[in-house]
Amino acid sequence: MQALYTAASGMAAQELNVQVISNNIANMRTTGFKKQRAAFQDLIYAHVRRVGATASDQGTILPVGVDIGGGVKTIGTPRLMSQGTLSTTGNELDVGIRGEGFFKIQMPDGTFSYTRDGSFQLDAQGRMVTSNGNPVQPTITVPATASGLTINAAGSVSVTLAGSTTSTVLGQIGLTRFINKAGLQPNGDNLFTETPASGAPQDGVANADGFGDMQQNNLEQANVEVVTEISDLIAAQRAYEMNAKVVSAADQMLQSTSAMFR
Amino acid sequence: MENVSLVGLSRQMTLERQLDVVANNVANINTNGYKADRSVFQEYLSSGAHEDNFVGRDRNVSFVWDRATLRDLTTGPTEQTKNPLDIAIDGNAYLAVQTPAGERYTRDGGLQINTQGQLVTASGYAVLGTSGPIVFQPGDKDINIAKDGNVSVVEGANKTDSIRGKLRLVSFAQAQRLLKEGGNLYSAGEGATPQPAVTAQVNQGYIEKSNVNSVLEMSRMIEVTRAYTQISAMLQQQTDMRKTAIEKLAEVPA
Repeated sequence: MQALYTAASGMAAQELNVQVISNNIANMRTTGFKKQRAAFQDLIYAHVRRVGATASDQGTILPVGVDIGGGVKTIGTPRLMSQGTLSTTGNELDVGIRGEGFFKIQMPDGTFSYTRDGSFQLDAQGRMVTSNGNPVQPTITVPATASGLTINAAGSVSVTLAGSTTSTVLGQIGLTRFINKAGLQPNGDNLFTETPASGAPQDGVANADGFGDMQQNNLEQANVEVVTEISDLIAAQRAYEMNAKVVSAADQMLQSTSAMFR
Repeated sequence: MENVSLVGLSRQMTLERQLDVVANNVANINTNGYKADRSVFQEYLSSGAHEDNFVGRDRNVSFVWDRATLRDLTTGPTEQTKNPLDIAIDGNAYLAVQTPAGERYTRDGGLQINTQGQLVTASGYAVLGTSGPIVFQPGDKDINIAKDGNVSVVEGANKTDSIRGKLRLVSFAQAQRLLKEGGNLYSAGEGATPQPAVTAQVNQGYIEKSNVNSVLEMSRMIEVTRAYTQISAMLQQQTDMRKTAIEKLAEVPA
């Protein structure tokens, strides 16, 4: 019976839906996290009677046909790349991006990853690094004697060196954007890497040419909205239950068939 | 073979297919833009014996057949997502989509942008504007889709909007003739001609959910199972009857 497999596809889809939602809820306090959602499509149809088929010699055509669908499939889990709320932390090395762009991070193997998580630290050499110790690009080294670190809207980092009254510019934090940022591949640790779907990275600087601006002392919160997630979770759970009911209905029908002729 | 079994069988076959339709609706309860199907049954009269010499004419036997699956074309509930690339169509219209197999139509408004900057569906097919696919430039931001389907953006540091195209919304006089292709796509079957939709409006930041009514599907499912069980019982009674008849008639008094 087709209904069994159709309902099974529905249960599998809703299970994945709950997985995606639970990951969103688990990351609702993760800096720079972008929520995902599961997108579904209907499977192929068996056209038992094809609509539009000629029904008589006079050329009358069937206005409706018999189409039996085969269930549901997951087409993807697209990421919603909307702006998260910026919250003030008061930490001078915290940077939030308001608008387009990702921070470019150099990984230990020399490749680049991209992130919206701007909670930077200084490592032993004074470089600005992520919480995992990977330097932000271009590398900015803060001298040990420096004080009053300031990052302006364009990402320019300046400090006041010991014995000086004027500030010195150390460098400018770059931003990178992609034509299809939803196509970036998530790699955990708040990092994304480029894929054929995302398009090539386009490096630039903040506050110019369509890039967003940088907000020092701020961090971008996750763009997860709890109310939406919980209502989606309830809907997914109920949908799962209903598919399970269909399985038992199909089972019951098969049972009554096999009990027919004892 | 007696007609009872055949008539019963015709009903059981259609009930199985009806459960398939219900199962597909329930499976697609979270599919954006999905339209529920409903089985339509018809009586099928088989002509009785035509011999005029019979005393009293043989009566017709009526079977069941599932004539059609009718699509429920009502608009599904819309959910606010705040995603600029999500659109819900208000009105009986469809988005035109370019696929390798030709032009297809969809109500699924969860759109994406591909590597070339084109506006595409979740499967990666280009969404058609009134003059071909809608293409965004690398520096575009703040995508705005107006009620009439006009897609505008703010390009780079510009202060004014640049138009990137206008969504091509089409409607069909006989939307039942659209053929479900899977993948949330419809193809225009014979007798279905796309016409520009005049009254339809686009709501950005919203998405149209599936229009499957869970209560209706659940009660329909119970109805199907019960009907199926009843017919099974009826067929069984008939078999028992035959069995008894054979036993009784074959009883030869010693």
